[in-house]
Amino acid sequence: MKKLSVFLTIAVLAAVMAVVLAACGGGSSTTSPATTTEEEAGGGGGAPAEGEGNEGGTLKGAYTSFPDYMDPQISYTAEGWTAMRPVYVPLLTYKAASEAEGAEIIPGLAEELPKVTNGGKTYTMHLRKGLKYSNGEEIKAGDFKYAVERCFLTNSGGSPFYTDIVGAEQFAKTKKGGISGIKTNEKTGEIVINLVKPRGTFNNELALMFVAPVPQSTPDEDQSATPPPASGPYMITKSQPGRGWDYERNPYWAKDNGKQIEIPAGHVDKIEIEVNRNQSTQVNDIESGKLNWIFDPPPTDRYQEVKEKFEGTQFRLEPTISTYYFWMNETQEPFNNLKVREAVNYAVDPAALERVYTGQIKGTQQILPPGMPGYEKFELFPHNVKKAKELVAESGVKDKEVTVWTDSESPNNDAGTYYAGVLNEIGIKAELKILNPDNYFTVIGNTSTPNLDTGFADWFEDYPHPNDFFGILLNGESIQSTNNQNFSQTNVPELNEKINKLATEQLGPTQEKEYAELDKAFMEQAAWAPYGTRTLSLFVSENINLETAIWNPTFETELTSLEFKE
Amino acid sequence: MSSDPEKSGNEAVVPEGTAAFGAGPGLDSEGARVVEAEGGDGRQTGGPWAIAWRRLRRNKFALFALGVFFVILICCLLAPVWANHVAHTGPNTTHTLEKLHEGGEVKEVVEPSGKAIGPQWFSAGGKFFLGADGHLGRDEMVRLLYGGRSSLFIGIVAAIITTVLAVILGLLAGYYSGWTDTVISRIMDVIWAFPVVLLAIALGIVLAVGGLEIGPIHVKSSSLWIPTLIIGVVYTPYMARPLRGEVLALREKEFIEAAVAQGAGSLRIMFVELMPNLISTIIVFFTLNIANNMLLEAVLSYLGAGVQPPSSSWGTMISEGFEALYSQPLLTIIPGTAILLTVLSVNIFGDGLRDALDPKSKVRFEARAGTSDPDAIGPV
Repeated sequence: MKKLSVFLTIAVLAAVMAVVLAACGGGSSTTSPATTTEEEAGGGGGAPAEGEGNEGGTLKGAYTSFPDYMDPQISYTAEGWTAMRPVYVPLLTYKAASEAEGAEIIPGLAEELPKVTNGGKTYTMHLRKGLKYSNGEEIKAGDFKYAVERCFLTNSGGSPFYTDIVGAEQFAKTKKGGISGIKTNEKTGEIVINLVKPRGTFNNELALMFVAPVPQSTPDEDQSATPPPASGPYMITKSQPGRGWDYERNPYWAKDNGKQIEIPAGHVDKIEIEVNRNQSTQVNDIESGKLNWIFDPPPTDRYQEVKEKFEGTQFRLEPTISTYYFWMNETQEPFNNLKVREAVNYAVDPAALERVYTGQIKGTQQILPPGMPGYEKFELFPHNVKKAKELVAESGVKDKEVTVWTDSESPNNDAGTYYAGVLNEIGIKAELKILNPDNYFTVIGNTSTPNLDTGFADWFEDYPHPNDFFGILLNGESIQSTNNQNFSQTNVPELNEKINKLATEQLGPTQEKEYAELDKAFMEQAAWAPYGTRTLSLFVSENINLETAIWNPTFETELTSLEFKE
Repeated sequence: MSSDPEKSGNEAVVPEGTAAFGAGPGLDSEGARVVEAEGGDGRQTGGPWAIAWRRLRRNKFALFALGVFFVILICCLLAPVWANHVAHTGPNTTHTLEKLHEGGEVKEVVEPSGKAIGPQWFSAGGKFFLGADGHLGRDEMVRLLYGGRSSLFIGIVAAIITTVLAVILGLLAGYYSGWTDTVISRIMDVIWAFPVVLLAIALGIVLAVGGLEIGPIHVKSSSLWIPTLIIGVVYTPYMARPLRGEVLALREKEFIEAAVAQGAGSLRIMFVELMPNLISTIIVFFTLNIANNMLLEAVLSYLGAGVQPPSSSWGTMISEGFEALYSQPLLTIIPGTAILLTVLSVNIFGDGLRDALDPKSKVRFEARAGTSDPDAIGPV
């Protein structure tokens, strides 16, 4: 026992010494080139291959957490979409470009954009000919139908996008018999999709990862450890959930798929992604050249330092179309009380959260973020703690205990801590529950999880259409038992109806005005307590060409755009 | 009949060859009474506890360590006084947008870049004495004191839990032997088979999500009792095993046979006859356990499996401070130093206590000091 005690004491001493030494090191933790081995610097593959200009090499990257799923039909996070963007190509896709150009829908595996007939209820496309998966298997029109069905079979969070397809709702319930509204012809490659009603966002939704074709032999369960074969320029050769994954070029891309599809082939030969929980280490590794790219922005502690040191050369700010918010479960006490939800909105101070996020969010108090069509600025709940307390007192809620959920990724954990403090201050006893970011959204998306009272969430646009912020997040009809995204379980029939009506219409000035009204209507219901919109960043190593790196508004970093400098 | 020499005064029943720890302060390594023999010059040296106290008193280093521990303990107990009357804030109260007015100068508690104010000592009347903790602007000193309460609570209460469980299991296994011993020893072996930190982390993560429910007892996942119970349980085999060994040796001694002959029941023999002979071992283990428990709490909290935020403990403070290691290293160094001082002081005092209670230590001390004078006892 004494030995153990001495051992632990020495361990703590060593830890404190290490901390002191690390702290003394300050920000200049660049590894000396003299001590960096070739392997550390990219392992031979890190540098461009000789004679190939800036093509080739192995790109090394890091994520702070493994994506929710490494499965195109199920993943519903920016982490997953960025990772799978170069691997799975839907029938339609978004142009590999930045800003507004990146929101343009172009044909992917389909030959052309769909022909819309029957009053907006029938979509007809043709699959390109001679396409192959990375395992050499031919891509068939029926694979698209299976992908949509697999979306429902796996209870994907994206399945509500496709419930307007004829037979989809029935299939969602029975999981049997296929979706009758999708007809495919393997000989001609024709794909006909019949909808029960017009859907103004359907082209956007056909361009999502959820319906990227996969072989029909793919099991209808999470394939994160063995991702399906690729249809895009890269294939995932190894996936170790929680640890990382590797890509190599899809051998059939250059020969077959790439000749037809207007998607960049990518510059590097291999990509190796590791999961490293320590964001500060990631920054050090970028500085030393051990890593070439990191998915997450630098940690809040080092954000300013990195920004000042590398902006313009290795670091670039990237505005996003996103909303950060606290959801409140409207089906349970005390948040089934409008006064309580209003009180929370009055009590949460976006200005304070701007500091918690070290300036990486810009305070807002509405559902739609700036930059999204339909956004009109308003502020229904100016910060007022006194009024919040009065509202809680009027609501009759007293000493009610609630659980505040957040993930452990900085500064979301601090935002959760701040929020729990705010609730306690206005008279709602809050207990904080901090989960690993790997499974945070899976846990809070399961409606059977006990004590789902309130917590942190964020939403980055799936596509540049305001319906994306209402259809899944706030429409009561989209509530599902697992992979639920309507965390507040908001279900206001008249607003559901309005969302459904607008969803059938093509977006125009009239619709934008109506979406702005919808935004206000939901905030009058105080469905969420939104607090900001996020600015992200692209941070690469010195030997990566920042100028050619693309930040797509939907998929963030285009991995195919990263190249080593000549 | 009691085997406690202080109570019984029956020296004839004192066993021979009792192990040093098991012999307790009343017995030497030959099993003979040391009450009158100490010094060997006819000086009345008092009872075994008095001898132990005298030895401890001469170990200035151990007493200094005890003093340091008490200072830390008292400071932590006075946390509400500091929070309410000096800092005027609670341990979880955020001050993100607050400004401090010092003379004509205005300082933001948290800068727009997210950097928090550093130590203010008494320039702001004791507010933010050690600065604020990162982006939330909580008072670091207040959190340190409240965190110390949590860490000390877990350290001490988990040590009590370990002690109670280990004494009961050690007595049962050692006294009854046979199947009882086999079952208890195998359970101990299973727990012992896991590295203590890994086992505690596994339990901590599971219980940190769902809390603990045993029948009508429900312990919230955020409760301090979760890490306390985990730490108390995982260290039990490390104390129960040696105690069982001592009981196995003691149960063969004449005073136990005498007790059995007089018709004493099993419970009486275990808790009235055997347990007093284990007291010195228990005391030493208890103090060392406090230090170990505090270290394990720090490890668990650092990894998110111990004290749950926003409650503070020194472990959680290191974890939170680690996020600002580059811009504000003090946020990690301060709680780290607090753990270091507390654990060192408890360990040094525990070592001193062991030496004071160990009859063999006299021989050792004499050998080191080159004298047979008991007054020559010095620190180890």
